[in-house]
Amino acid sequence: MAESFILGLSSGSVCLVTCGMVMFPYMMARTAGAKAITADLAVFLATRFLVYALLATIVWFAGQSLLRSPVFTNYTSGFLYIVFSIMLIWYAIEKRPSKTCPAAVVAKIEKRKLVPVFLGVVNSLALCPSLLLILTKGATQATLGKSYLSFLGFFAGSSLWFLPVPAIGLVKKKNVIETVGIFATGLAGTIFIIKGILMLIR
Amino acid sequence: MKKIKIISGIIWAFMALIIILILFPGLNSFSVALSKLPFMKINPNFAGGDAAFSYVQERCTLVVRKPVFDGLLSERKHGFVQLDWRGELPDVISDTIDFDRDGGSDFVVNLKRNDAVTVINPLSDLVTGLNVSVPTSYGWTVRVGLKRE
Amino acid sequence: MEKELVINGYRKSFGKSLLYTLPVFLITFVFMSGGRPDFSDPARLVALLVTFAGMNLLYFLMHYTGRTDRYRAILFIIFALSLSFTLISNIVQMRNSMSFSQSDIVECRIPFCHLVIPMMIIPAAFTKSIIFPGSIIGGFADISSMVILWLFATIALGRGFCSWGCFYGGWDDGFSRIRKKPLLKKISDSWKWMPFALLLMVMLTAAMTLVPTYCDWICPFKAVTEFEQVTDTESAIKAGIFISLFGGLVVALPVVTRKRTQCSFLCPLGAINTLSNKITPFTVKIDNEKCTKCYKCTTVCPLFALSREDVNGGRVSVFCSKCGKCVDVCPNNAIHFGIKGVPAGSFRNFSRNLFLFVSFIFISIFSAGSIINTIQSLLNFIIS
Ligand code: SF4
Ligand code: SF4
Repeated sequence: MAESFILGLSSGSVCLVTCGMVMFPYMMARTAGAKAITADLAVFLATRFLVYALLATIVWFAGQSLLRSPVFTNYTSGFLYIVFSIMLIWYAIEKRPSKTCPAAVVAKIEKRKLVPVFLGVVNSLALCPSLLLILTKGATQATLGKSYLSFLGFFAGSSLWFLPVPAIGLVKKKNVIETVGIFATGLAGTIFIIKGILMLIR
Repeated sequence: MKKIKIISGIIWAFMALIIILILFPGLNSFSVALSKLPFMKINPNFAGGDAAFSYVQERCTLVVRKPVFDGLLSERKHGFVQLDWRGELPDVISDTIDFDRDGGSDFVVNLKRNDAVTVINPLSDLVTGLNVSVPTSYGWTVRVGLKRE
Repeated sequence: MEKELVINGYRKSFGKSLLYTLPVFLITFVFMSGGRPDFSDPARLVALLVTFAGMNLLYFLMHYTGRTDRYRAILFIIFALSLSFTLISNIVQMRNSMSFSQSDIVECRIPFCHLVIPMMIIPAAFTKSIIFPGSIIGGFADISSMVILWLFATIALGRGFCSWGCFYGGWDDGFSRIRKKPLLKKISDSWKWMPFALLLMVMLTAAMTLVPTYCDWICPFKAVTEFEQVTDTESAIKAGIFISLFGGLVVALPVVTRKRTQCSFLCPLGAINTLSNKITPFTVKIDNEKCTKCYKCTTVCPLFALSREDVNGGRVSVFCSKCGKCVDVCPNNAIHFGIKGVPAGSFRNFSRNLFLFVSFIFISIFSAGSIINTIQSLLNFIIS
């Protein structure tokens, strides 16, 4: 759980900057005042939470049926950790200007009240490398409870970044947060690469 | 306003001077004061936990420490119990330990000091195996891995 | 040479410089000798005299020539070398090897260094304990005194600690001075935010695992102090990381860029010192009226603390370690040591004199012990 929390926390800032900056101006345009934004944020986070719980269940059952032998589990997850961590580092450092949130499509939705729900779903399902790492972790846990805990850690870590959103107008140093977040994501990727290597050689 | 700023800046600068001037003569007393604060003790994961009880043997004493499961917010699932042999140790040690003092033996430690070979025979499901076995300035220390009940 | 063109406004006459050196002379004498020099060990006495004279000469020259950085750097680099020497010789004496063993960890005998401080904070708050296998008080480099030393210094000097107190900073400062001109000029200064990301990561990972993860996995200075014995693949990977970070960030990159890359791009304590720069009274100021925007200062700043935007905006960034390099190189005396609250351009000499006195007292007393020890050991070695 600790690892998942750290991963969520480190990649959450990039998530906030790429996704949050698309979503929240949009939300704010619709609503007036911090109260309404807070309500939207709560719905958004609750949706993310539910989607993660669902994912935890699915990947754990998938993991149980596909990866039975512990040796196989160690090797596969070690290998997947390395691959997804490299993707995570690449995702953090590449400077493609179109690095925008997949949730931007939500902006086209007509029914306004459902916007935070859709945002939550799309944001959780955006297959960013950090989520892939958590999927790997969830699939290889011994019990369903542990798989839930991994997702809970990731949810908590990444959601922390969204909490100050009602005060988003006050955030001045957006580029500083983004830069620190990108580096933190790269570091989290490095931690998981080392973890993957240790899993393979131990 | 400008004058106040200038004066307070200069006063703060002189206070910085005083901070550095008292630092070295007062280092010992400041350090002692700091060391007395409640958080200034080594975490049991490093220090090995407080002593729980001891067996006085022929020429040495075996101190069994309290099991350590300390985590950040709550106890961890895995931990260890530390055993210290102090005094003049025999070359071969074999002790049966009941670390939780529930009347049932938990593991047997067999230690050959000269070959630095340590074997743990678990007698309880809670014992996971040997973590650390090292010579120390006072004798020998062994840490045995545990699972929480 | 462009440096010779600088009209230095801080030069003092010989007599005045001596006068300014007098307080440092007295204070260093009292602290180094304890007021009563020990005549029984000639090697120690010579080492003490050399250190004492050398330090006071450096301080005198700071006033006499009006330059700061080069004389600061001499002491700073000697401090780094001598501390590593003292640490290694202490460890080798205790254990006959440069690496520490499990016994040292079990007995909590690992010397503490200030880089651990950021990782201690969260566990200390939650577990009411310190996650480091060292001694709380007493013994070599105990936790309490090292924390006090750092705390006082960072309050008084802010990130000035990184140029006037840290016994690691001298390593990359030294290597950054080897070449006259940099081979690699273009480095994105966004990397200076990396220590904050690393600070976040090490604080969190240390809190979660209750292990000082920076020391365990990253610290490049393990290469010149002490490291865990290589007994398995994991410890081999760690040793590989320590050595490559030392080789890359402390040696190679500083040589080719003339920047202190380890301090700028890695050190998490540097990030905390950067934050404490906000509270310290001393700073470096730019007098906009005198500044001609030649940007000589931005080129020489070893810590990416001074960009062109900073100069245009008339302020030095919070990353400044008050090394004085920019002050020395400015042809118009536009950039100068200052005191917060005092407008740029005023009280320049006063601010410099006060800052130099405070920071020099700190580094000289802090470094004296290890420099004396090193010289003494070298003398003993030569004699034997
Ligand atoms: S950045 Fe770190 S290593 Fe460099 S001088 Fe500062 S505290 Fe020392
Ligand atoms: S701004 Fe000047 S004093 Fe500050 S670190 Fe850079 S060169 Fe040194």
